[in-house]
Amino acid sequence: MGLVESGKMPKPLTTLLSLSRKYSLWVYQWGLACCAIEMGSAFASPRYDVMRLGVIPFPASPRQADLVVISGTVTDKMAPAVKRLYDQMPDPKYVISMGSCANCGGPYWDSYSVTKGVDQIIPVDVYVPGCPPRPEALLEGIILLQERIGTEDMSKRWRGEPIVVS
Amino acid sequence: MNPLSSADTTDETAEAPADEAVETVEVDERRQAVVDQFTELLGDAVVQSHIRPGDDVWIRVTRDAWATTADVARNRLGFTFFDFLSAMDWLPSPFGRDMDAQEDTSGAVAVDDADASPGEADADAGPVALETGYAGGDTRFQLLARVYDVRNHIGVTFRADLPDDDLAAPTWSTTYLGADWHEREVREMFGINFIGHPHMVNLYLPGEFEGYPLRKDFPLLARRVKPWPGIVDVEQMPTDGDEDAGDLRCRRRCRRQ
Amino acid sequence: MAKLDGEQVVRCEPIPGYMHRGYEKLCEVRTYPQVTTLVNRIDWLGSFANEVPFILAAEKLMDVEAPPRAQVIRTILFELSRLGNISLFLGDLGIQLGGLTIGFYAFRDREFVLNQIESATGGRFHPNFDRIGGIKDDLPKGWIAETKRAMDRIRRLCDEFEELVLGNEIFAARTRGVGVIPSDVALSYGMSGANLRATGVDWDLRRDACPPGLSYDLADWKVWTHPDGDSYARTWVRLQEVRESTHIVDQLLDSIPSGPIMAKVPRIIKVPAGEAYVATENPLGEMGYYVVSKGDLVPFRVKIRSASFNNISVVPWVSRGVIIPDLITIMASLYFILGDIDR
Ligand code: SF4
Repeated sequence: MGLVESGKMPKPLTTLLSLSRKYSLWVYQWGLACCAIEMGSAFASPRYDVMRLGVIPFPASPRQADLVVISGTVTDKMAPAVKRLYDQMPDPKYVISMGSCANCGGPYWDSYSVTKGVDQIIPVDVYVPGCPPRPEALLEGIILLQERIGTEDMSKRWRGEPIVVS
Repeated sequence: MNPLSSADTTDETAEAPADEAVETVEVDERRQAVVDQFTELLGDAVVQSHIRPGDDVWIRVTRDAWATTADVARNRLGFTFFDFLSAMDWLPSPFGRDMDAQEDTSGAVAVDDADASPGEADADAGPVALETGYAGGDTRFQLLARVYDVRNHIGVTFRADLPDDDLAAPTWSTTYLGADWHEREVREMFGINFIGHPHMVNLYLPGEFEGYPLRKDFPLLARRVKPWPGIVDVEQMPTDGDEDAGDLRCRRRCRRQ
Repeated sequence: MAKLDGEQVVRCEPIPGYMHRGYEKLCEVRTYPQVTTLVNRIDWLGSFANEVPFILAAEKLMDVEAPPRAQVIRTILFELSRLGNISLFLGDLGIQLGGLTIGFYAFRDREFVLNQIESATGGRFHPNFDRIGGIKDDLPKGWIAETKRAMDRIRRLCDEFEELVLGNEIFAARTRGVGVIPSDVALSYGMSGANLRATGVDWDLRRDACPPGLSYDLADWKVWTHPDGDSYARTWVRLQEVRESTHIVDQLLDSIPSGPIMAKVPRIIKVPAGEAYVATENPLGEMGYYVVSKGDLVPFRVKIRSASFNNISVVPWVSRGVIIPDLITIMASLYFILGDIDR
């Protein structure tokens, strides 16, 4: 692992690492509103069966998760909890924001108590639009994220360089 | 547009309920009986009442009798089901039409004055005549509560005026246990205090929130900053009648302006 | 938030507000047709059922009535959203008690109902299909037969649930006599729906105070009550309601009249001044809208009376002295939806 510490890693190793990370995403479900039910359908219902994508939706706590799906309306009262959740997750961590509410406030864009987009609190990797997005849309979001993980240079991430979304 | 039955009538008390009953001729005996019972038991505390036949009944009581009303309703007259408790703010929105409908940002107010209801048009021209609903009212804030009799299938809506300088009322939560949370909500949304409430803390909003959101003078900041982004498809039609022909043309005209 | 003494709950006070979105204020700045989009999302499992009372209140103020065909279709969709909602309750209850299987079953069979809602309205969740004076579209071809098949699936789910959960000794031991709410307390807290009927109060808004605009009188059905008032009773009543609801749908499907689906309403909807309160029996209980209009494009004030808010306010009362595992069954059987509490 000396190589990794010096910030260099051979290509095959990176590929291998990425591949394995890509297909063992432990996802923490942070369901907040209506979208949570669609997320539930995507993750728990036999029809959409998310495990075939290598996503494991049952971590006991955010400390064991690689990915969190923020689905639903984030209110100002809830915002600190979301932030805390994100801080608890170990690096590397990814965030999918599901639904218009989490993306930008959605139907409550003018409300006095809704945070207009979860990206004001934590960085988001993939936005899934829709109100609510169909379970298929969430699966597509996950696949997009996996693609990204697959091409990501892990050593860069370890060096703390900013991640460029292609 | 038919005016509210008791719009800005503060001193006439007896006429208002009769108002609508005359129009529709039918008299709702069951609901009239309810009003009579309350008048009998509460005496002078019943200020005004309004019946919409076959549908609903409104009774306005004085603030001092607010708690007694609950007691009478639940324990004497069998209105055991607690529906909700809330409040009204009758102040016309001080933000003009842009708060009411997104198609009119402040510049367009003039267009609408003609058919906006009186009292709403010139909202910021000094003290405005408050326009209150069924069973009348004299003050800006009113309490609103509804109870139901599950055996006879009849509901009553109560209201009570609250003076502006003393926004407080006796609590209902000793009579109707469910009023507990509703009163906390009203306190939070309107700033109305309930005397004797056991546990008055915020229900919804984070502690540092300022202002009372459901008051009419509470601005929705997002709306002040940015008008409705979507395409305007709710604009006023100049004509009410023939829809198809005039419709499209007028739509285009409006958009071009 | 719960104060404990060992395993006993001294005082448990739910802290709502994490989902408070300010509906009542937002309704004041939206036109009547726009409000329906918004109120869909109050009780997100039974979305269509949320639109209906608001539309009915507006119809009452405007004095229009939907044509019979629209009324029947509206009622069918209303019941379908009830099925979508309560079937998830059945699954959720299983999950809370540690039996995951029934949860998967519920998710599976619920899809059939959602498919029907989607093919009729275009939205799985938030159809926004109800209009003042009618409904947006007619039913698609072949929908009636499909829906009947879906109803069969749901009835089978009910049987499975009965065998797997209700007939289970552990379930009975954990729910019978737990969280008993007497009827006078339930009434005084304003609990409604199945929670109230499980305390023995025979009251269903669909039967007793059905607002004009819904056609429950065309079907022959029964209101179930249970005298016990405990967690078991609440679950049992809900299960029977699902069954009854499938029968309502079946009967109404056979009696859809022909005719238009929209009454004549102006393009620009201005609701005459007045006040109206309309409540319907939603999946969670009584949901009502108190609409105050000043003859404008937008409502002057909308007070939303949602069922879960009242149903859950009983928790501090019922949870005194129970033990923690019981608290879980109590909460699960009271059945609340966050959005419906906080609005
Ligand atoms: S995006 Fe739509 S469906 Fe999702 S939580 Fe927000 S309102 Fe609900």
